[in-house]
Amino acid sequence: MLDPSLVPWWAWPLLLFAVTFLLGIVAVVGGIGGGVLFVPIVAGFFPFHLDFVRGAGLLLALSGSLAAGPSLLRGGLASLRLAMPLALAGSIGAIAGAFLGLAMPTRVLQLSLGIVVLAIAALMWGTRNAGETLARTPDRWAAALGLSGRYPEASQGTIVAWTVHRTPAGLVAFAAIGVIGGMFGLGAGWANVPALTLLMGLPLKLAVGTSGLTMSIMNTSAAWVYLNEGALLPILHVPSILGVMLGARVGVRMLKKIEAKTARSIIIAVLLVAGTRSLLQGLGI
Amino acid sequence: MSLERHEKAYARWLAIGARIGFVALVVSFFIYMFGLIPPGIPTTELPRYWGLPVAEYLAATHVPTGWGWVHRLPQSDVLNFVGVALLGFTSIACYLRLIVDYIREKDWLYVAICVAQLGVLLVAASGLLH
Repeated sequence: MLDPSLVPWWAWPLLLFAVTFLLGIVAVVGGIGGGVLFVPIVAGFFPFHLDFVRGAGLLLALSGSLAAGPSLLRGGLASLRLAMPLALAGSIGAIAGAFLGLAMPTRVLQLSLGIVVLAIAALMWGTRNAGETLARTPDRWAAALGLSGRYPEASQGTIVAWTVHRTPAGLVAFAAIGVIGGMFGLGAGWANVPALTLLMGLPLKLAVGTSGLTMSIMNTSAAWVYLNEGALLPILHVPSILGVMLGARVGVRMLKKIEAKTARSIIIAVLLVAGTRSLLQGLGI
Repeated sequence: MSLERHEKAYARWLAIGARIGFVALVVSFFIYMFGLIPPGIPTTELPRYWGLPVAEYLAATHVPTGWGWVHRLPQSDVLNFVGVALLGFTSIACYLRLIVDYIREKDWLYVAICVAQLGVLLVAASGLLH
């Protein structure tokens, strides 16, 4: 690997920008957030400490979700009513996770990050062909919270009715996702979407949009903790945010040219490499 | 299909907050990188610190925690935190806007959710938790 001391300080933000630009493209085409790729790659191959990388990862995920939120809501592709209770559970988890992460020894954190990233790769592999099992009737909690509605399905030119089930399990899942997201700065899209579709029975398209909205609130909570604990470095997070956001714009244009399946395979491969590296760093190898 | 009034208002406030936050984040970064305003930690010295765990970094650089950074304005590295804080306040502002609508509609369950979420966000923002 490159000896960091041989590289002038100003080259690192440029290198970060270039790498995160590519991550932004792959993330959009693969349908995941950039945070889950950013943290293991930058922590594994850049000289910044994992504490700052996690803070930057959270800001990256927060920026992406804040930028996408308005158009998702206006397009009817996210349900605010559904996002609110889930985000509340997720926010509490994210704050707890952020404090836990900042209190853990670096080696333990690297080891845990490696395990989590490899588990995410396995989750992505395992759910790659998962079909939709839509909720037909709301459970008691969903009925009380009014968690049902309609959304536009542009591909069919129809309006689709939706509701959710297993709401208590969904709330617990979002709290747990919040803990992991806050602890490792991974964002949460990688887990929110399977939780919303496979567990709560939400249509995929609405799940992707609602996940983004939920992330904007959950990541805000954890980002405050990282800011207050001094774990943010502008030289790390700003080039990364710019890189991922510009990459995402290019990625949107490339959506038609690259198959999502190919992009997901690339992402799984990258996660396997980055997760293994983190695992080895944690083991001191 | 028409959007709920809350969703329209939330989207509008989210768009405004995010835009202001991003502009502040990016402008302050270029001020920092081009040395238009001196930073608290010179950029040339940063490589000595950025590989340290946050506790050691804080001890070595005397960077304050909590809202202590406000007292170091306008140092250009600290100036960037204004943008971060603006992004952080965006969801808080959106929820303050939402709660008004839910009170008007007497949707007390969602008023309670808004109050709880605002409580969580404000506690996180306060820096009181350690």
